[in-house]
Amino acid sequence: MSASPVRRFVFAFGAAFALFYAITRARGLALFTVYPAQGIVLLGTHRSREFADPVLDFLAPEMYWYGWTASAAVGALVVGVVAALLPERLSWVWAWCVWTVPPMAMLACVYLTMPWFRL
Amino acid sequence: MTTAILIVHGLVAVALLGAITHQSLATCAPSNAKPSSFFGRFRAVPAERFANAIIVLYLTSALLGAVVYLYFKMDIQPDLERDRHWHAMGFLDLKEDFVAVGLGVLPAYWVCWRGPADSQHKHIRTILTILLAFIVWWSFLVGHVLNDIRGFGS
Repeated sequence: MSASPVRRFVFAFGAAFALFYAITRARGLALFTVYPAQGIVLLGTHRSREFADPVLDFLAPEMYWYGWTASAAVGALVVGVVAALLPERLSWVWAWCVWTVPPMAMLACVYLTMPWFRL
Repeated sequence: MTTAILIVHGLVAVALLGAITHQSLATCAPSNAKPSSFFGRFRAVPAERFANAIIVLYLTSALLGAVVYLYFKMDIQPDLERDRHWHAMGFLDLKEDFVAVGLGVLPAYWVCWRGPADSQHKHIRTILTILLAFIVWWSFLVGHVLNDIRGFGS
């Protein structure tokens, strides 16, 4: 099977994005943190309770989803470019990863969400 | 304004739901030449023609959802936490996670549906289509329940 660099890039990107998303989600590695109530965006992962009393947390709710997605996209972009530059004989790895890694990452996300269901 | 965005988000999601369901069924259970039943006609569509529309609808829906999410975080989530809707919060977390994973596989999905596929790529595109269909259905149902949560189950 021949695989063009574009095909290798998108397959590697899809697999790496899912993997990095699960890792950034688990480790809290957001590229930036959004504070919608204040209308500000801070680089990196920040928590309101680091700056204010935890009981006032609700006044400055932080959002990480955008930052997690951006972190995963940056990591996946790098992996995708590397995959496109690697020899074509390795293309089967990316073709295999693109359909196995995303479902596994989704299962990891289910595991990470379990605390909500134990409350 | 938020309500208007939410309604457009919902309408785009309905269109996406229809398109991805048509494509999934046409991919997994292609119909014979002359389908007679409703189910047969539903899955007797040229699946490849849905791919571009699905990508545009998915991106539009994700973008609108990302905008609405800002208002949700400020105005709705505190009420849900106060009322101890922990399961709803968990389902929403899963929705945002699944949607993100779906965004990542979208380029691969697009490439798989471009032009004729060999047997391996047919296999990959079938799995990616089912994966996206699951994500879209999950997101639609969770979004619908959250939208109606104050009346849901009461």
